[in-house]
Amino acid sequence: MTSLGSSSSSATEYVVRVPKNTSKKYNIMAFNAGDKVSCSMWTQARMERDMSNRRIYGEEETPDGAAGSEFGKKQREEARRKKYGIVTKEFKVEDQPWILKVNGKAGRRFKGLKKGGVTENASYYIFTQCADGAFEAFPVHSWYNFTPQAKHRTLTAEEAEEEWGRRNKVVNHFSIMLQRRLRQQEQGEEEEEEGEKGGKKKKKKGGRGGDLRIHDLEDDLEMSSDESDGSNGDDDEAKSKAKQDKGPKGKGKKKKKKKGSDLEGFEDSDDGDFEGLEVDYMSDESSSEEEEPEKPKPSKGEDVPKGIDEMSESEEESEEENKNEEDGKEEEEEEDGKKTPVQVEKKKKKDSSGESDSSEDSDIEGEAASALFMKKRTPPKRGGVRGSAGSSRTGSRPGTPSIDSAATSNTLRAAANKLEQGKRQTTVPSSETPATKRLKMEPSPQSSSGKSTPQPVSGKSTPSSSDVLLTEDAVRRYLIRKPMTTKDLLKKFQTKRTGLSSEQTVNVLAQILKRLNPERKNINDKMHFYLTE
Amino acid sequence: MSDKGQDVDLTRAKQNTGVWLVKVPKYLSQQWEKASGRGEVGKLKIGKAQGKTAVSFSLNEELTVVQCSGEKVSSVRSPREHPFTIQTVGGQSLAVFTETSDKLALEGMVVQRAECRPAVSESYMKLKKLQIEESTKPLRFSQKLEKAVTTNYKPVSNHSHNVEYEKRKKEEGKRARADKQKVLEMLFSAFEKHQYYNIRDLVDITKQPVIYLKEILREIGVYNSRGPHKSTWELKPEYRHYEEGQEDEEEKME
Repeated sequence: MTSLGSSSSSATEYVVRVPKNTSKKYNIMAFNAGDKVSCSMWTQARMERDMSNRRIYGEEETPDGAAGSEFGKKQREEARRKKYGIVTKEFKVEDQPWILKVNGKAGRRFKGLKKGGVTENASYYIFTQCADGAFEAFPVHSWYNFTPQAKHRTLTAEEAEEEWGRRNKVVNHFSIMLQRRLRQQEQGEEEEEEGEKGGKKKKKKGGRGGDLRIHDLEDDLEMSSDESDGSNGDDDEAKSKAKQDKGPKGKGKKKKKKKGSDLEGFEDSDDGDFEGLEVDYMSDESSSEEEEPEKPKPSKGEDVPKGIDEMSESEEESEEENKNEEDGKEEEEEEDGKKTPVQVEKKKKKDSSGESDSSEDSDIEGEAASALFMKKRTPPKRGGVRGSAGSSRTGSRPGTPSIDSAATSNTLRAAANKLEQGKRQTTVPSSETPATKRLKMEPSPQSSSGKSTPQPVSGKSTPSSSDVLLTEDAVRRYLIRKPMTTKDLLKKFQTKRTGLSSEQTVNVLAQILKRLNPERKNINDKMHFYLTE
Repeated sequence: MSDKGQDVDLTRAKQNTGVWLVKVPKYLSQQWEKASGRGEVGKLKIGKAQGKTAVSFSLNEELTVVQCSGEKVSSVRSPREHPFTIQTVGGQSLAVFTETSDKLALEGMVVQRAECRPAVSESYMKLKKLQIEESTKPLRFSQKLEKAVTTNYKPVSNHSHNVEYEKRKKEEGKRARADKQKVLEMLFSAFEKHQYYNIRDLVDITKQPVIYLKEILREIGVYNSRGPHKSTWELKPEYRHYEEGQEDEEEKME
């Protein structure tokens, strides 16, 4: 207190006291200077511990007593933990963060996190000056760094990523939050905001129809039809994205399957054949997928003699993979779920055209492809590719329509087929491949089926009207004219023309045949149906 | 949300009281803790030297005695003079709040930060040396014993613990089969408390021989050989009425 002017400069001395009472714990509340916090501006403040971490620490409680509980569970759990030395951290209230609310509900919120290591090596003291001029020093118990908490809405991670993707296009950034708020308000309702739909243009008000946007690639398309769906923007995107994802993913999977089966089906293929191939499983484009199966096929063709049986017995997947090849061949045929004999007869028919074995072998494999994929492939493209790729094949397969014509030009029926095929795209044969050796042996133009009755694959049997109706009359006409096998009949009613799926066709045809009850004759070991007037 | 929170007493904050935050070395704070009486620990000199504020703290005489472990006693004294280094608060706005068992109060804002440094002197160096020696001592150490420990592990004909155990067993005697009804009652009341029981626990509870108990259990209960409650017994579903009374169960038994 008294001044001792021991040095030249004036100095005042103050007594320093360190009070002994320890009931009051002093803590530091640190704010960032940038937050511009001024304690004098606070009219009211509330502070409490943030207990949200308690449930993380608290073990999962099994029901205590009565249903679901076990006698002595707690003790056993404890003993088990001790045995394994599992040490669980206690939930210390002291270490929990503070939540500070200033100036009531409308004011600011802060979260104060405890700073560790403050009292380890040095102690902090708070020196306050008392009324009597002496200083009192209090030790600081803990240090909390307080950060302001945002009260405004923020975007979630997914939304933020979305917006990031659109950052180059969005001009009006204020609309982003507006969109989000509106979206939340009108969950499940149609969004009527103008300028939000389509959203390809930057508009002042609507800014981004971001929430209603389905796909970035569709930015330039007017997707109003999609967006006016009742569901909410988020859902739309989620759905459409899911669809999109499923699309490429599905394709990717198929591609993958094909790739795998590609390799499966080959016995003697060179490993080096596939090394340079670029595989893009998840891309939206499917062209690459088309190319790849094509390339292995020629090589496969070369291995014909050895691997035929294996190849022909390969699973559906390999068939799928070779569907491209199949397409060309089977365009005039509708095979779904038919067993090998049917295939055999098909192959035999093709044989007569003098096509090379290799092409047939590869065809056989690829027979069971899905209708969807088959339809997508354009015959000319495939034909073209195949033509170029198949070195070992005769060049007699320039395009799908002409394939069969060459083969069956010598029969009336073939001529009719040729006419039909000239207009159509391929359908999907999906039966198992028979042994091709058998096919080569019997080059009869007429397909001779090994099975007498078509086997319906699935239970669907709802015929629908189309260009060529699969009616009893039509079948009757065919059967009166000349005996036909079921396979032939199916060829008549291609899925493209009748609008039915291959399964449906089979079912309907089966029903019709039952009704007609035609006579049966075995020609060339194949069951033919015919009717007499 | 505000129910749990405590109101922070802002009275002192409003007064705009400014405080100093001073970083003090550990040994000094230890000495301060030893202060007696009103807690006076020293004097603070604030003066102006060549235009700059010079603050220095001098420790009271009696507090310079350093307590050291081991044999050295009072050979080392802590330095007395401690100049303060003044620092700016900048970058951060620091406030001080206090917490008592029931109240939170805001004491004020920090206007000045300082670091208390000891004036480098011989005594300080010695003190530091002492500290280093102490800190380098390992927490655990091996010690040679002069005599072998003979108090543990003496060979015993029968350990006391064992003896007790045998006596207890003798008293209890073999578990007698009680009335089936009674046993069932016991079981049901046990299953009212918990759903899953280990066979050992049930034996303890009912004091029945294992075989007999198992027979009864097979009637009314089912054994879980796998699943979350592995190797436990529970009542059969038809007996399971955790909210109903025992009469129903007894009826079912018949």
